Amino acid sequence: MAESDGSKKVADRYLKREVLGEGTYGVVFKAIDTKTGQVVAIKKIRLGKQKEGVNFTALREIKLLKELKDPNIIELSDAFPHKGNLHLVFEFMETDLEAVIRDRNIFLSPGDIKSYIQMTLKGLAVCHKKWVLHRDMKPNNLLIGANGQLKLADFGLARIFGSPDRRFTHQVFARWYRAPELLFGTKQYGVGVDVWAAACIFAELLLRRPFLQGSSDIDQLGKIFAAFGTPKPSQWPDMVYLPDYVEYQHVPAPPLRSLFPMTSDDTLDLLSKMFTYDPKVRISAQQALEHRYFTSAPLPTDPSKLPRPAPKKESINSKALDYNLQEGPVVLSPPRKTRRVMPNQERTDGNAYALEKNSDQGNDARMATGGFTNDRIPMSVDFSVLGARPPSRPTINSADKSCLKRKLDLEFLPEEE
Amino acid sequence: MAANFWTSSQCKQLLEQEEVDVVHPLDKERGITVEDFKLIKLHTANYIWKLAQNVKVRQRVVATAVTYMRRAYTRKSMMELDPRLVGPTCLYLATKAEECTVQARLLVFYIKKLYSDEKYRYEIKDILEMEMKILEALNYYLVVFHPYRPLSQLLPDAGISDISMMHVTWGLINDTYKMDLILIHPPHIIALACIYIASVLKEKDTTAWFEELRVDMNLVKNISMEILDFYDNHKSITEEKIVTALNKLNKG
Repeated sequence: MAESDGSKKVADRYLKREVLGEGTYGVVFKAIDTKTGQVVAIKKIRLGKQKEGVNFTALREIKLLKELKDPNIIELSDAFPHKGNLHLVFEFMETDLEAVIRDRNIFLSPGDIKSYIQMTLKGLAVCHKKWVLHRDMKPNNLLIGANGQLKLADFGLARIFGSPDRRFTHQVFARWYRAPELLFGTKQYGVGVDVWAAACIFAELLLRRPFLQGSSDIDQLGKIFAAFGTPKPSQWPDMVYLPDYVEYQHVPAPPLRSLFPMTSDDTLDLLSKMFTYDPKVRISAQQALEHRYFTSAPLPTDPSKLPRPAPKKESINSKALDYNLQEGPVVLSPPRKTRRVMPNQERTDGNAYALEKNSDQGNDARMATGGFTNDRIPMSVDFSVLGARPPSRPTINSADKSCLKRKLDLEFLPEEE
Repeated sequence: MAANFWTSSQCKQLLEQEEVDVVHPLDKERGITVEDFKLIKLHTANYIWKLAQNVKVRQRVVATAVTYMRRAYTRKSMMELDPRLVGPTCLYLATKAEECTVQARLLVFYIKKLYSDEKYRYEIKDILEMEMKILEALNYYLVVFHPYRPLSQLLPDAGISDISMMHVTWGLINDTYKMDLILIHPPHIIALACIYIASVLKEKDTTAWFEELRVDMNLVKNISMEILDFYDNHKSITEEKIVTALNKLNKG
């Protein structure tokens, strides 16, 4: 493609279009995949100045997304180096759930809400099945594709699409979705933190505004307790042992119905199970999907019929958007996208894989023979024949070994034949 | 992380021994035989281990690094990816992927300490450049499952609790990374083979336990034999042979 029409091919395959925004780790631009004709979003990962190669957070996202292939999780379709930078190719997403919630022109029926939260939980259940904690669930990380499919995005990478509302810094925004155990400083948390956040998103879909808008961590807990009552030790026995636990003045729980006056009993029942204080008792994403809420009327709306914000033509992007006209059925990015991208410094602390950590630790290379030199390849187990036996290590002589081999051959013969 | 092996990319990408033992045409041109190929990979695995001991990372990271290296050579030639650079780079990448990043400059420092030979001399920029090539060779698949975790579940299940049994089995698993087993078999099967060897070696009767497992005992037995054969052959490996094999890769 000639440069003159403003497009440029990247890696001989992607036709570069307008820039969608700039994240913390690099520029995101729209592109056409010439192989499939599809619109994609390409993230160019800037190499760090500290000479540390491929950005660690980007690598984490690549690592996870390569294992998580699901209709409700953003697809990393390709990755390639180009001019020394790593490029990640994602499917292009039209909008996100936050834009839907905020759009006052959109009416969300109970079936629509059910559909959105069902897709959210489906994506989450897949992550949890693979032991991936998302840790940053919030409406603007739930992207919505052209067919209405909702997909979890942002697995540790800078947001492709940031927050539309600059009044909130990222920290504040994320706080509203933070589970009480996190606010009490737990170091070991599990899938419950994502479920709590999903519950906040559920509530936000119902209320059309963020549900628990705390202005500080302490205030966040206050808001939570005001909504659900101060947890009693019987409700959450481990609470008092949490690192940052502080006693709150007891407030009784108002009836949940008073907070969500227009919703069905099934909705309230599922909400209360997702908002359970004790993370051990809190419903899992999979269990939530099996809740009767999803099988009772009204049934979840078909994703393709879900209301979405109308793309606005008149915008600073209009020139760029014109490119799409000749491309056929491509998706127009809502103009607000460009504005919505902002650098997000917030990264929740390194507890991401608390579940996974420690598993292999402590057992390290104890078998290391040590003292290896270049001319002798170190072995963990010394099977050398009749050698001097290091006292701490088992050795085996050739007689033992042939016996061992015989044994290996003979045992289990009955099953084999 | 992705803790379900059966739905992992690794499970889908397991290879046959014959597929692993293919010497890339570019390497063949230089006279690299299958034996040389295995030898160089063994040498690179040991190089990774030595570096890892210096920068002090967990065994699991070493295992991941060695797996990256072995995977990379199922797709790329040693002429394209110099093993003397691939070793440190795979370790570098593995420390990132396993969430315990080691700085590239630290690796460069220990490379110089371990090898004075200028063929091993690589700088930070070389590692970073190679990192991108390795990522490509791996097709960006970075999650690796190892036998260590299944081992910690299997041993108690088999009623094995004495420390020396655990150590032998653990050591055997470490040594399986000197072979290509991790590219060919599911990790828990490798763990079972190691438990099997260890229990025969230490005269622990685990037959009943093995019989109750729903695994292909033939496979476990074959892997055990392969490991023992490896220990046998290992004695004939000399530094000279390794140098000769590596020298075939030298330019000019």
